[in-house]
Amino acid sequence: MRYLLQRLLQLVVVFLIVTFVAMVAIQGASRDPARDLAGPLSSNEERVEQIRQQYHLDRAYPIRYAYWLKNIVTLDLGTSPTNNLEVRTLIGQRAPVTLLLGLYAILFALLIAVPVAVYSAYRRDGPFDRIVSGATFAIVSLPNIILAVLLGYFFATKWRIFTYAASKIWPWDNPVLHVKNFALPTIVLGLGLSAIFVRLLRADLVNTLQSDFIVMARAKGLSPRRILWRHALRSSLFSLMTSVALQFGGILGGAVVVEQIYALPGMGLLLFQAVQTKDLLVVQACAALFALAVVLVNFVVDLLYAVVDPRIRHARALG
Amino acid sequence: MLAVVWLGGLTFLAIFANWLPFVRRYNEFPKGPGARKLVAYRGKPSSDYWFGTDKLGRDTFARCIYAAQKTLVIGAASIVAALVIGGLLGMLAGYFRGWYDRVLTVMFDVLLAFPAIVLALIVVGRFFASGDLNLGLFTMEKRFFGVILVLTVLSIAPLARIVRAQTMSLAQREYVLAARGLGAGNLRVLVREILPNLLPAMFSVAFTGLAVLLVAEGGLAFLGFSVQLPFPTWGFMINEARPDIVKGGGWAVFFPCTMLFLTVLSFNVLGDRVARRFDIREATL
Repeated sequence: MRYLLQRLLQLVVVFLIVTFVAMVAIQGASRDPARDLAGPLSSNEERVEQIRQQYHLDRAYPIRYAYWLKNIVTLDLGTSPTNNLEVRTLIGQRAPVTLLLGLYAILFALLIAVPVAVYSAYRRDGPFDRIVSGATFAIVSLPNIILAVLLGYFFATKWRIFTYAASKIWPWDNPVLHVKNFALPTIVLGLGLSAIFVRLLRADLVNTLQSDFIVMARAKGLSPRRILWRHALRSSLFSLMTSVALQFGGILGGAVVVEQIYALPGMGLLLFQAVQTKDLLVVQACAALFALAVVLVNFVVDLLYAVVDPRIRHARALG
Repeated sequence: MLAVVWLGGLTFLAIFANWLPFVRRYNEFPKGPGARKLVAYRGKPSSDYWFGTDKLGRDTFARCIYAAQKTLVIGAASIVAALVIGGLLGMLAGYFRGWYDRVLTVMFDVLLAFPAIVLALIVVGRFFASGDLNLGLFTMEKRFFGVILVLTVLSIAPLARIVRAQTMSLAQREYVLAARGLGAGNLRVLVREILPNLLPAMFSVAFTGLAVLLVAEGGLAFLGFSVQLPFPTWGFMINEARPDIVKGGGWAVFFPCTMLFLTVLSFNVLGDRVARRFDIREATL
């Protein structure tokens, strides 16, 4: 418990530092933040001055940051000049898309990875295992930009099976179009992940299958299927879970590129466009949200460690 | 083996690109009366243009080689810088533990949680947007330097974490304790006992890390935060030719893609070999 509290405190500190540094860097990189926030074409000095007052841009960074934190807590993030929308609304629209994309990618990866890894580990060094080992190595080395461009060309432009994102992106709007919109980004993000998961899970399973309790289970006469899926997989799932969580930051980074290529209106695209149009408040909010996501996932991993494996809980509590 | 041949050949071409006659026309546009016809010809590789040309009639092969030069320099410079900085910080954190460790761990977490695109925006988009940078001995494009800086900063934290974990386990070994018992100071233990044992892992990580960085550079190029012409990188070329695939410009996408894939694959193979040779457990980025 003490360990977790300590870790939580650490992560709060991390979040505060990241958002503060991001604010200083983003606003410091701008020649005049107030002018950027007044909108790209605004030359109205009064308006600029009003915005300077409104967002406290004439104050020192720590004070600005304090105000920003207060606004974050009350969820009042200001207005984006380029979209003329509240930043809060904008993020409310975009964040679920990226969240969905991330979930799909992870699900896709796991659905492929678990059966493949289990079978490879079961028939270790057999032909299937060798092919899988080679294939995963190649896939890990396949940059997602290449995958995105090639899949986009064949499936969206040439054969028109899937689409570059159209307007109706929600499953309840139009389920078919939803699948068509999300399929390619999901595959691009998920394929590399699945290869990583296969390699990890296979290595872990091979180790597990050699341990005493598996020999014991076999001696009791349990069927190989039962041993594989119930006994071996359970103890290996843990490292897989950790890996899923650790890949999360990478998924977010990949999402920025993939969303841009497929014009999928998620957080990544929002951040990219905000960067282009110098929409500072949106950039700051996005940066904060990305940081929050990474920090939260880190904390959940620690929590899982402690919950699943009592040995770690006690060892760390002592140390 | 093939990986070594590929990387060796590529490095050779990259180093001597400026002097080899057949790769010198990276930026030549066809001129004269036949130009229009030549540009219309684009795409198809021929004996004259081995990899075909792009939509402006530039030789894709020559551009690929120059891109190799630029991409490899960016990747190598970033990984070396990140290894030196990250390795040092990781060693300190893993060896001294206590407050060093706490502060450094928070720092690594901050680096990991900082969104890459925001960093790229600030560094490449604003401070190193254009112009040349005078480094005393030589000058280089600011943007080029900016890309290296971004990639270095991004890879410090993951590398430092790996080194920290390795150092922590090494510091418990008997020979370290023995050296301590013989009266060796911290510096001596770090440099003479721990560092040599870290090196194989660092080599392995350097190769796989380099592969990751090449891909990351491609991502930056797609977002518009990479180098400037006349010399492209592979990512830049892919992104540049992407809209022309439909119009028959597919070769200009295909070849940089292939080069990038083969190079990333080779570095991964190399990293894997080194890791296996020295029996290092999973140490990927």
